[in-house]
Amino acid sequence: MTASAKAWLAILAAVVLLPVLVRHAIATEIWIFAIFGLGLNLLMGYTGLLSFGQATFFGSAAYVAGYLLKYYGVNVFLALAVGILVGAVSAAVVGYLCVQRSGLYFIMLTFALNQMFYFTAYQWTTVTGGEDGMPGVPRPSMLGLDIHGPLAYYAAVALLFLLSLWVMKRIVESPLGKILQAIRENEARAEALGYNVPRMKLAAFVVGGAFSGLAGVLYAMLFGIVPLESIGFVFSGNVVFATLIGGSGSLYGPVIGSFVFIWLSESVSSLWARWPLLLGVAFVIVVLFFRGGVVEAWVRFWAWRTAHRAPARAGD
Amino acid sequence: MGALLGVAHGASGAGPGRGLMPLLRTDRLTKTFGALTAVNDVSIAVEEGSLHSVIGPNGAGKTTFFNLLTGQHAPTSGRIVFDGRDIAGTPPHGVAHLGIARSFQRTSIFPTLSILDNVWLAAFARQESWRGLAWRRADRYPEPTQRALVVLGEVGLGDKAGQPAREISHGEQRQLELAIALAATPRLLLLDEPAAGLSPDETQKMVTLVRRLKGRYTIILIEHKIDVVMTMSDRISVMHFGSVIAEGTPTEIQRNPEVRRAYLGGVVAP
Repeated sequence: MTASAKAWLAILAAVVLLPVLVRHAIATEIWIFAIFGLGLNLLMGYTGLLSFGQATFFGSAAYVAGYLLKYYGVNVFLALAVGILVGAVSAAVVGYLCVQRSGLYFIMLTFALNQMFYFTAYQWTTVTGGEDGMPGVPRPSMLGLDIHGPLAYYAAVALLFLLSLWVMKRIVESPLGKILQAIRENEARAEALGYNVPRMKLAAFVVGGAFSGLAGVLYAMLFGIVPLESIGFVFSGNVVFATLIGGSGSLYGPVIGSFVFIWLSESVSSLWARWPLLLGVAFVIVVLFFRGGVVEAWVRFWAWRTAHRAPARAGD
Repeated sequence: MGALLGVAHGASGAGPGRGLMPLLRTDRLTKTFGALTAVNDVSIAVEEGSLHSVIGPNGAGKTTFFNLLTGQHAPTSGRIVFDGRDIAGTPPHGVAHLGIARSFQRTSIFPTLSILDNVWLAAFARQESWRGLAWRRADRYPEPTQRALVVLGEVGLGDKAGQPAREISHGEQRQLELAIALAATPRLLLLDEPAAGLSPDETQKMVTLVRRLKGRYTIILIEHKIDVVMTMSDRISVMHFGSVIAEGTPTEIQRNPEVRRAYLGGVVAP
């Protein structure tokens, strides 16, 4: 069996088992956050662009689609489509400005623009509810199927997650995926080969924004509210954090990262209020020893095991 | 492959012959950085199918001259005429699409990508159609894959295609550098010291490689090793402090007293 087939089997098993093991809302949130992470990973892991402003696209999509759901009672598919579109368009605008700069200036621009969106949402209380968020986002039925129940909604989200993962797999295995990695490795050479680097980076932004947008709408429908934090920089930081822990630059890294991050934050936080300390420790370990996150730790563990078992087997 | 490329070049009517329109011509090309004039009033003409070398001491402006040709820098003044078109000011990715490819003096590859992917990316960039850019699997494009494998075989890296580029030796990385430039099927090939940092053995290998390219590609070569340049080139331009101080056939250059003074050192002509 190929490594990719194994990964898909593991993920399918996780999709089935998760709602048995943890509360449905948490299980659902894990897959939503994973979709969010997939979008960031295309930028951070594949293109080498550390965006500290992904909540811009997540939050904008959540507000716009949430507003349409709440006040106009739109169809759920329309809400999802609008979310994806808002995510992509906001990412196109932000991305266009950010790809003009690189390195630290790029990161600061993503952050600064995120703050602008945040304060717009904070001030525009008549629409967004400001600090109180925008409550009352309904969860309409999907193709006549009732997704009000937590398990039904979980199933719908898990399905959309699997679809997102498949789409992202296609993208990273396409020429665009290779070009983005080439840009990460050596921007000047990629340009010299004939690739319009800023335009390719912008494409990564738009795709990443679309994924963030999808995650944003699903998040709003999960909790029935668009909280102000969903467009805040802490949220942007969390997805970077989760993706790094899971393993950036690997397709499945953000999925694992989302699992670790959400599970820790939801389960350990009820036991111990200082739980971010644990995350901090995990982060330090990753940065110092496993730049490739859990995925790299896993690969190295198996390499170590086979290396140690091989001589034993030869002795049999 | 060689014959095929020869035909493609012949289609524009030139060939190595003299008196016809050159493939590349620079016209009083100048680049200044503040008070420094790195390239000063350089006018050269490169005939289709020829190997034209640019020599000169370190800091003579050879690499800056290449950077002007490939769009890394915009010239301060002057023209670059490629195939009858002024291309000065075209960005690097645009220059690549015109069919000008280069190798870098300091190895410039994609370290964590496989050797095949390094070359494949160069071949794909020059595909006429990028259909399915974000959707079709990269290994479902037979043409660039085929081109990449041919070129890797040509430079002697065929059996290492799957290895990450960072894992091969410096000498092999220089071969890869050349392969990346060749994979673009260039109409004009700019080679910036392909043998930089190589051992005598590796240098010999590289010289053989470049010699095999002669006649199949139009080449501008920057090289320090005089004996190599003298035996291989059709024409040589000598740069000194940003200016071309002499141009001619290898024999003419060898006889030129000014060149001997400025560059070849050795015996000063009486």
